[in-house]
Amino acid sequence: MRSPDPVVLHRAPYRALLAKELNEVLSGRALWTMLLILCPLVGYSFFQAVSLYGEASATARDQPQLASGLSPLDGVEVPTFGGFYLAVTLLFPFVAIRALGREKETGALRLLVQLPYRVPTLITAKMTVIAAAWLIAIIPALSALVLWAVLGGHLYAPETLNLLLGQLLYGLLVGAIALFAAAVSESSATAAIVALAFTIGSWVLDFALAGQPGVLQWISQLSLTQALRSFEQGLLSVGLSIGILAAIGGFAALAAVWLHPGVPMRVRVARSAICVAIVAAVLALATQIRLSVDLTEDRRNSFPAADQRALAELREPLLITVHMATEDPRYVDLRRNVLAKLERAMPHVTVRLATAGQSVVGSTSEENYGEIEYSYAGRTVKTRSTSHREALPLLYGLAGRSIPTPLPGDDYLGYPLVGDGALALPWFLGVLPLLIVAAWWWSRRAPRIPAELIKNGGQS
Amino acid sequence: MMTVLHTIDHAVVGAPALVEVAGLAKRYGEHRALADISFAIQPGEVLGLIGPNGAGKTTLLEAIAGLLPIDGGDVLWRGSPLPLARRRACIFYLPDGLRPWDTQFVSQVIGFFAAAYGRPESFVAEAIAVLGLPPVLRKRVGVLSKGYGRRLMLALALITPHPLLLMDEPFDGFDLKQTREIMGVVRDVAGSGRTLMLAIHQLLDAERVCDRFVLLADGRMRGVGTLAELQARTGKAGLEEVFLALT
Repeated sequence: MRSPDPVVLHRAPYRALLAKELNEVLSGRALWTMLLILCPLVGYSFFQAVSLYGEASATARDQPQLASGLSPLDGVEVPTFGGFYLAVTLLFPFVAIRALGREKETGALRLLVQLPYRVPTLITAKMTVIAAAWLIAIIPALSALVLWAVLGGHLYAPETLNLLLGQLLYGLLVGAIALFAAAVSESSATAAIVALAFTIGSWVLDFALAGQPGVLQWISQLSLTQALRSFEQGLLSVGLSIGILAAIGGFAALAAVWLHPGVPMRVRVARSAICVAIVAAVLALATQIRLSVDLTEDRRNSFPAADQRALAELREPLLITVHMATEDPRYVDLRRNVLAKLERAMPHVTVRLATAGQSVVGSTSEENYGEIEYSYAGRTVKTRSTSHREALPLLYGLAGRSIPTPLPGDDYLGYPLVGDGALALPWFLGVLPLLIVAAWWWSRRAPRIPAELIKNGGQS
Repeated sequence: MMTVLHTIDHAVVGAPALVEVAGLAKRYGEHRALADISFAIQPGEVLGLIGPNGAGKTTLLEAIAGLLPIDGGDVLWRGSPLPLARRRACIFYLPDGLRPWDTQFVSQVIGFFAAAYGRPESFVAEAIAVLGLPPVLRKRVGVLSKGYGRRLMLALALITPHPLLLMDEPFDGFDLKQTREIMGVVRDVAGSGRTLMLAIHQLLDAERVCDRFVLLADGRMRGVGTLAELQARTGKAGLEEVFLALT
């Protein structure tokens, strides 16, 4: 044997680490099993969505005014990706855990942390491979979009890409949580329980706490599914996106803190507290960013174009005082139809809840319950309507402006399509699973070995 | 951290030790796994860590490698404290009974280590040949026999460039002929200038391959020195008798 090199270690190549991580995920069964389960899951969701969309479209043929309500985003894309969302929630944690859990179980982690890679580099490589695994996992859902286009369906790029971005962020968030769970757990089984506690726990938050007042409402907003909802509605919210990215970074940083087995517990706890504090600060800042863009083709999250233009010119601060409890369905309507749109359309909007922290039961007896006060330029007007058709004229009146004339060609006409979703079933139930099995088999072949490595007694 | 330099054993008085372990202590709750462990490792030697099962050998190796938080003591590198972040630049620890990345191919695992340390193909080929690994390069790590699994781990250790190698039970799983063959490899590694510390529970194996010994029992150090020094201290012949006398 020749003498070893001196103690100075060179910078290890990231590509080698990435290849090792990718091999680890591809050589396991979790990703391939998830892909095979995704085929019928996404396929049936797509079949159902296309069938229902076709039935609605057939009705719209006789009553053309119904066609404007036919948006492929709501009718086909979101339901199809619903199956993918389910798989990411329940199955993707197992794929992500594979990136670290197996190394902890076999003890390989003790070798890995001795290699000339910094811990953040190791976590970055693992997150990169989790993102790559997500890209592979979304293939069945993407193929559904291709089939929709082949059937003659319409896809509006901005809203479709926005939906994909939401799914990516959600997938990375689930992946980061799973990685953190693997870092703090001794076995993959425990890590899976921890990760599923986050994902399935979110459903519990949705069902049990949604619409509750006060602190309960705030807690319900921590649900992971909230991360996706805005993207499914065609909104690109800057604050939400930053918040999700901060959460992803936070969980990845926590995984890094807990990765090295040699770090004392008190140091881990102190570093974890710093991570949590930083992420909490970023999340708090992100909630203050109201900038969001309506990327839907039917502009469902915006007022008609003429109103949007007129409202953007109202530069004075608008104060809206709402005398309703947050769980009141009328408030939910008002929030969606008027308040959220006004916040996007006008530069200075403040919404104040006069009954903050109170429930419907405790506040409905008040005389002014249900009132909405609009204060602009020193003048105030009250209404009980939750529709923008009444609210906007009041607002124009406060501002001393005339109601704008609707712009021609502003109406969304819809994209009715009577397609046969059954045509997609052979793809999802036959061809695609076979292709996945073939790719699995191909990925399991032995790699090419340089001749020099086997020159002394190799049988390969 | 507590530093107990006065208890350190130097094999050669005045010669700078490569590593000094000073007053190392580790507890698991109420259980004392290691207590006041102090010794020195000289450059180029093969130091045997001897002790029965449960003596604390693995705990000590992991603590020196920085893979286990310690409750007291210090690890010094050429007289200076060696912080956790710098351990991996000086020390490489090969755990016992490991099957790393068991679903990957042997060639992939070796290739990953070679790439991480920038080792040329010829160097890696030599390590593979020395350990007789060519027949299993296309096999997955998980299906290797115990002996080939050990050889793979040794190959990974040979690929690393660290001046100090810590190995936990490197001869476990080999028959007599293979053990002697692997001992030859270990001696060659030491001959090339690297320092080795081997945890061995087979005293006969330890006697054959090690220059000096650290005797450990119940988490405490029972003796340190060459076989001749230990024999002189106990008046016993052979490592087995010395070990029984001291533990």
